[in-house]
Amino acid sequence: MSENVWTSKSLSDRLRGAVASFGLPRLIIAGFLLLLFIMAPFVGVNFFTQITNTLNRFSWNAVMVLAMVPMVHSGCGLNFGLPLGIVSGLLGATMSIEFGFTGAMSFVMAIVLATPFAVVLGLGYGWLLNRIKGGEMMIATYVGFSAVAFMCILWLLLPFKSPNMVWGLAGKGLRTTISLEGYYDKVLANFLQVRIGDLVIPGGTILFFALLAFAMWAFLHTKTGTAMTAVGSNPTFARASGINIDKIRILSVVMSTWLAAVGILVYQQGFGFVQLYMAPFYMALPAVSAILIGGATVNKASITNVVIGTFLFQGIVTMTPTVMNSMIHMDMSEVIRIIVSNGMILYALTRKSEAIR
Amino acid sequence: MSTKNQTASFGAKLGRLARDNSVPIMFILICAVCIPLAGFSGGYLLNEIITRMGRNTFLILSLLIPIMAGMGLNFGMTLGAMAGEIALILTADWQIWGIPGVVLSMILSIPLSVGLGLLCGKILNMAKGREMVTSYIVSYFINGVYQLVVLYMMGSIIPIAHSSIKLPRGYGIRNTVSLLNMRQCIDNLWAIRVGGVKIPVLTFLIIALLCLVILWFRKTKLGQDMRAVGQDMNVARDAGVDVERTRIISIVISTVLAGFGMILYLQNMGNISTYSSHSQIGMFCIAALLVGGASVDKASIGNVFLGVSLFHLMFIVAPAAGAKITGDSMIGEYFRVFVSYGVITVALVMYETKKRRAKASLGRQLELEQKGADK
Amino acid sequence: MNKSRKWLFRAGALLLLILVALLMLWIGRGHTVYFDNKTIEHQGVEYKPPYKVVVRVNGEQVAKLNARERGMATWIGQNFKMELEVTWEKKGEAVVRSFTQKLPYNMDGIVLNLPALLNDFPEEVYLSEFVPVATEAEEVEEEIITSEFELSDL
Repeated sequence: MSENVWTSKSLSDRLRGAVASFGLPRLIIAGFLLLLFIMAPFVGVNFFTQITNTLNRFSWNAVMVLAMVPMVHSGCGLNFGLPLGIVSGLLGATMSIEFGFTGAMSFVMAIVLATPFAVVLGLGYGWLLNRIKGGEMMIATYVGFSAVAFMCILWLLLPFKSPNMVWGLAGKGLRTTISLEGYYDKVLANFLQVRIGDLVIPGGTILFFALLAFAMWAFLHTKTGTAMTAVGSNPTFARASGINIDKIRILSVVMSTWLAAVGILVYQQGFGFVQLYMAPFYMALPAVSAILIGGATVNKASITNVVIGTFLFQGIVTMTPTVMNSMIHMDMSEVIRIIVSNGMILYALTRKSEAIR
Repeated sequence: MSTKNQTASFGAKLGRLARDNSVPIMFILICAVCIPLAGFSGGYLLNEIITRMGRNTFLILSLLIPIMAGMGLNFGMTLGAMAGEIALILTADWQIWGIPGVVLSMILSIPLSVGLGLLCGKILNMAKGREMVTSYIVSYFINGVYQLVVLYMMGSIIPIAHSSIKLPRGYGIRNTVSLLNMRQCIDNLWAIRVGGVKIPVLTFLIIALLCLVILWFRKTKLGQDMRAVGQDMNVARDAGVDVERTRIISIVISTVLAGFGMILYLQNMGNISTYSSHSQIGMFCIAALLVGGASVDKASIGNVFLGVSLFHLMFIVAPAAGAKITGDSMIGEYFRVFVSYGVITVALVMYETKKRRAKASLGRQLELEQKGADK
Repeated sequence: MNKSRKWLFRAGALLLLILVALLMLWIGRGHTVYFDNKTIEHQGVEYKPPYKVVVRVNGEQVAKLNARERGMATWIGQNFKMELEVTWEKKGEAVVRSFTQKLPYNMDGIVLNLPALLNDFPEEVYLSEFVPVATEAEEVEEEIITSEFELSDL
C-alpha cells in the first residue's frame, strides 16, 4: 500500500520533471500541431497534401534554422543577426544571375559567390560581437537591421544590368522580387523527388539539408567543435584549457553567417523567387523561434532541435490557415504565428537558469 | 607652464566632450550636408520641426523613467502605443469628438497600459541583464495579441457600430481609422502663428508639464529608489528597496506615458494606421533619443529635445537630398531608415564596450587589492 | 490609519477618473446635423420651403440653402444652437430666428427639416435620423496590411 503510494508519487513527479525539462510551451505547441493533424481529415482537408506542404516548407527553412547552431554553441546566443548572412546570400544570388549562369550551375555559383561576402561580413560581425560580450542578442538584431537597410540603398545603386532583375522602365535598380525561372527554381526539390500518391517529398532539398546537418554534427565532434561547445557552456574552463575564446567565437559567427547565406538560397530555390529590399528584415525571428520550439535554449542547441523545431514551426505555419479556414472561416494563422513564435522566444529569454551567465 | 597645462587639459576636455557627444555631432554634420542639398526654406524647416516636436516629444519622454531604473531603452513602449490606439478606436466608434475625445481616450488607455505594463515588467524581471532584447520581443508578442483583438475580436466580441471603422466582413477594424473629428484639436487650441510658423502652445504646455513631473519625480522617494536600483540592484536590495516592485512600476509609468504620447501623436496625424502606426514608433523614438546624446544608462530631458529636433531634421531633409544627388527619392528614404538603425546599433555598441571596460578595470582593481593584501 | 488613507486616496483618484470619463462621454458626443430645405407634408398639407435660408452655427455661416437643398454642420454635445436667416420670397425681407435643439444622444446624424421647424411643428415631424446609404463600392473587401515594416512618415 505504502509502496504503491510511493511509486505513484514518483511517477507524477517524474511526469512533472519530464514536462519541466521539455517545457510547457513546447508541449502546448506539439499538442496543438497534433490536434491540427487529427482534425485535418474531419474538416475536409487532404492529410497528405498538408504533409507535403509541411515537408516542403521544412526543406526550405531548415538550413536557416541550422545556422543558429554554431553561435548558440559558442555562447553568442541566438543569432538575431541572421539578416546579415541572408544579405550575403542575396548578393551571391543576384551576382550569379548577373554573370549569366543558368540552371543548376546558377545555384552552385550563387553559393560560391556568396561565400566571400559571408566570410568577410561574418569576420567583421564576429569581431564586433567579441567586443560586446553579454549584449550580443540586442546588438545582433540591430546589426541585421542596419545591414538590410544599407543593402536597400545598394540594391538601387549597384550596376546590375540583367534585364531579368532590373526595373524594366528605368533600366537600373533591382526589382523587389526576381523570378528564378530558368535559374535555380526548384533545382534541389525536383532532384530525387519522391512521389507516393498525394505525398510528394522534395528529396534533393532534404538530402542537401541532411548533408549540411551531418557536416555540422561531425564538426561539433572534432577538436575545434568540442572547443566551441566548451566556450559556450563553460568559458572559464575553456580559457583555463588554453582555448582562444575570441577566435572560436569568430569562427562560429562566420559559420553561422555562411549557413544563413546558403539557407536563403535554399529557401529561394523552393520558393522560386529572390526577395530583395525589406524582405530579409524579419527572417531571423521565425528561425530563432523554430530552433527554440525544437528544444534548444539560449546556450544549448543540437541538430535534433533543428529538425524537430523546424518541422513543428512550419507544420503550424502551413496547417493553421487551411484547417482554421475550413473550420471557422477565419484565417487567424498570421496572428497565431506571431504569438507562437514570439511567445516561444520570450519563454526562452526568461528561463531562470539561463538568465545568469 | 600652468597656462600650457590649462590649455592641454582644455584640449583633453574638448576631446572628451566630442567623444561623449559623437552621435549628436555626427548628426549635425549629416544635417549640415543635407540641408543645402535639399533646398528647403528655413521657414518650412522650422515649421516642420515644431510640428514634429509637438507630436513626438511626449512619446520620447516616456522612455526616460525605465532608463533611470537601469532597464535600458524600453522597446516595450510600443505596448502603450497599442493601448492608446485601442482607446482611440473605441472613442472614434462612440463618436466622442474634440478634446473630450482625447481626454476620454487617455483615461481609457490607462487600464490597458497598466495591465500591459505590469505584464511587461514581470517578464523583464524574469530576464534581468537582457531587458532590452526581451522588451523588444515582448513588443512583437503583444503586437500579435493586439492583432488578435483588433482584427478578430472588435466587431464580433467588442461591439463596433460604425461601418466606417469596421471591415465589410463584419468584424475587424479597417486599415485606417479616421480621427478627423479630433484632428489637431489640442494643437489648434491656443495655437499662435509667428511669421508663418504655427506653434501649438497647448501641446507644448502639456509637454512642459510632463518635463516638470519627471524632474519632480526624480526627487521623490520612489524616484530615488529607482535611481538606486539603476545604479546597483544588489546594493539597493540591501538598502531595503523592493527592487522587483520598483522596476515594474517604472515600466508601468513608461507604458502609461507612451499611451498618452501615442494619443497626442495620433490626434496630430488625424488618422490611425491600425496595423502599422505603433510598429515603428518605438524604434524611431529610441533612435531620436539616442541622437540627442542619450545612452542606454543615461538620458536627460535635454537629450530628448536635442534628439527630436536633430533626428526629425534629418528625417525631413534626407529624402530630398538623396533625390537631388541620385535622382531617386527612395534612396533618401532608405538612407534615413539605415541611419535610424545605425544610430541605435552604434549607441548599443558604445554602451556595451563601456560596460565591459568598467568591468575590466574593476577586475584589475580587485586583483591589485588582493596582491596588496597578500603582501 | 496611514494605509487606509492611502487606499482612500487611490479609490478617490479612480472615482475621479471614472467621473471625468463619464463627463467626457456626456459632453464630447459629436453629431452631424443636416438641414433639409425641402417641402414637407404634415396632416395632409404640403408646406413649401422658403426661397433661401442661411444657417449660422456659433456665429459662423455653415450653409446657404436655396429651396430643395441640403446643408450640414457638426456639433459637439446635445444642446444644439443655430441661427436661421430666412428669406421666404425672392428679393423679400430676411427674418432671423434662433433655435435651440436637444439632439438625441444615440443618433450620429440628425436631419432637421427647415420648413417644418419654421412652422413650429412638433419634434417628430421635423427631426429624423440620418441613415447613410451603403454604396455598392463599400462591399469590396479591403486587404489588411499587417506588415511589421513600412516606410512611414513621422
